[in-house]
Amino acid sequence: MTTNGILQILLFFFVLTLLAKPVGIYLLKVYNGERTILSTIFGPVERLFYAITRVDPAREMNWKQYGIAMLLFSLVSSIALYAVQRLQFYLPLNTQEFAGPTADSSFNTAVSFVTNTNWQGYGGETTMSYYTQMTGLALQNFLSAAVGMALAIVFIRGIARFETDKLGNFWVDLVRGTLYVLLPLSFLAAIFFVSQGVVQNFKAYDTAQLTQSFVVQVDKKDADGNVVKDEAGENVKEDSTVNTQTIAQGPVASQLAIKMLGTNGGGFFNANSAHPFENPTPFSNLIQMLLIFIIPAGFTYTLGRMVKSPGHGWAVYAAMSILFLTGAFITYGAESQGNPLYPANVDQVVVGGNFEGKETRFGVANSALFATVTTDASCGAVNSMHDSFTPIGGMVPLVNIMLGEVVFGGVGAGMYGILVMIILTVFLAGLMVGRTPEYLGKKIEAYDVQMATLYILIFPLTILGFTAISSVSPDFGLTSLNNQGAHGLSEILYAFTSGTGNNGSAFAGISANTLWYNTTIGIAMLVGRFFMIIPMLAIAGNLAGKKKIPATLGTFPVNTPLFAVLLVSIILIVGALTFFPVLSLSPILEHFQMYAGQTF
Amino acid sequence: MLDLLFLAIIIAFFLLALAYIAGCDKLRKGEKS
Repeated sequence: MTTNGILQILLFFFVLTLLAKPVGIYLLKVYNGERTILSTIFGPVERLFYAITRVDPAREMNWKQYGIAMLLFSLVSSIALYAVQRLQFYLPLNTQEFAGPTADSSFNTAVSFVTNTNWQGYGGETTMSYYTQMTGLALQNFLSAAVGMALAIVFIRGIARFETDKLGNFWVDLVRGTLYVLLPLSFLAAIFFVSQGVVQNFKAYDTAQLTQSFVVQVDKKDADGNVVKDEAGENVKEDSTVNTQTIAQGPVASQLAIKMLGTNGGGFFNANSAHPFENPTPFSNLIQMLLIFIIPAGFTYTLGRMVKSPGHGWAVYAAMSILFLTGAFITYGAESQGNPLYPANVDQVVVGGNFEGKETRFGVANSALFATVTTDASCGAVNSMHDSFTPIGGMVPLVNIMLGEVVFGGVGAGMYGILVMIILTVFLAGLMVGRTPEYLGKKIEAYDVQMATLYILIFPLTILGFTAISSVSPDFGLTSLNNQGAHGLSEILYAFTSGTGNNGSAFAGISANTLWYNTTIGIAMLVGRFFMIIPMLAIAGNLAGKKKIPATLGTFPVNTPLFAVLLVSIILIVGALTFFPVLSLSPILEHFQMYAGQTF
Repeated sequence: MLDLLFLAIIIAFFLLALAYIAGCDKLRKGEKS
């Protein structure tokens, strides 16, 4: 690690900490229905929405009504996005005349963007028209993020309110989050990205003549366009000279802004934020990382203020920070060590360590930091290829998702995820001292812990179940792998972890655009989103109905460093107990094999 | 045909999720009684 690299990581964290409080205050005003500096502009638009949709903003919902509204909204969104993709050939702004993606790919992408996962089995610039990118994918980037934020606020209201079953109005929370938070911030961010060189147009793709042609091997095809196979059934290859390069264009900046801010992560281009048109400078890289964390960090302050215990909000922020900095420095440390299998005469120090799969304009430190940030949150954008990281460097992003993405986490999803962990923490703290656990004036009872347990068990069940089936299925699971052995298992494990965790980042190295992976990862994304939200909503509803009990000497304080450390411990123990066995067979085993000289 | 299959998967999942809400609520009522 270099001093420069360490300072850049610390600078990022310092700026984030400075922004957490003002953003938290703003979120508080938005979700409390108070007047904000944007009310003059968006107030009339908001009221128009309610008038058209005949929503009474004063009518609050209980947890079941809130959940049903959220589910119906997501159902309609999924079907609409599926239809836009399948019909894109007949829709406008299709300059490259792309046909609609296959049915399984459209299913995967539809649920991917509605669940805020943005897992992409397709290449954006070779599959999606501008119309699909804008009205399908970018629209869901806004709406799925707004749904996540609404759910976080509902959980906080459940903690903050007493003896009521009312948790707010889903439609109001959805509209206010979109209009007052996501839209204006995305607009400003898009303008900034254009200033850095991100493209924003509706032009057809350009073709550039290469100054130096090169030869690649491609599948040989017969006169009818079918791939020619040899006697062994393998594809016959032939040389092809490449003289030109296609330069993809499009409305990138507008989609990029919400992709980061909404912790969506779905790239306009296949290379995501490693593409020079999607992340042109180190400055754009820094802002992209800040956009990922800014709303989740702000939510910790909002939590503290809403439950009238600012210290609790900062304790949660501290716990998240410990996990974030630990992960960032482990990744950076592992990557800066370089690859031990390079010959001794290859100087890896001069480039800062393991440089495979990284962009020269970001370097090792900012690639490691980006990988940590994007997997701490449920973003999934990448500026380097995680598959090319060292085994330990690549394990950190994987573990970040396995911990439930509660280290700042996705917009909203990170907050409600860590609140479930807090429920478990105070429950265990209560067990240790032999008292009924309490949290901010509420008794934590059997039902709360049952729902929290359900929330925690669904996650590994989905990941490990699908990974196990894929790992022993040579016909449809293993054929998609580019690597065998421990690294191959990491690729399958990462795919299902990323899908179920609604992260969406790809480890690469696995061709996931197949009927099996599109369908199973699609189902994993649905389960990982909605089957975890429902028990969370049930806890919120149950908490809101409880009576306030006064704090006593036996009450475990939740605004102290001890609480932060205990919370970190619980998150790590739950994650380690669940996933350590499979991790020991994938990146940990690969680490030792690498030092023994074995590659895959 | 595949279109119908995937649309059916989406709709079936959300119906299952609605039943899940009902199940969680039933469990809560069972706890209270």
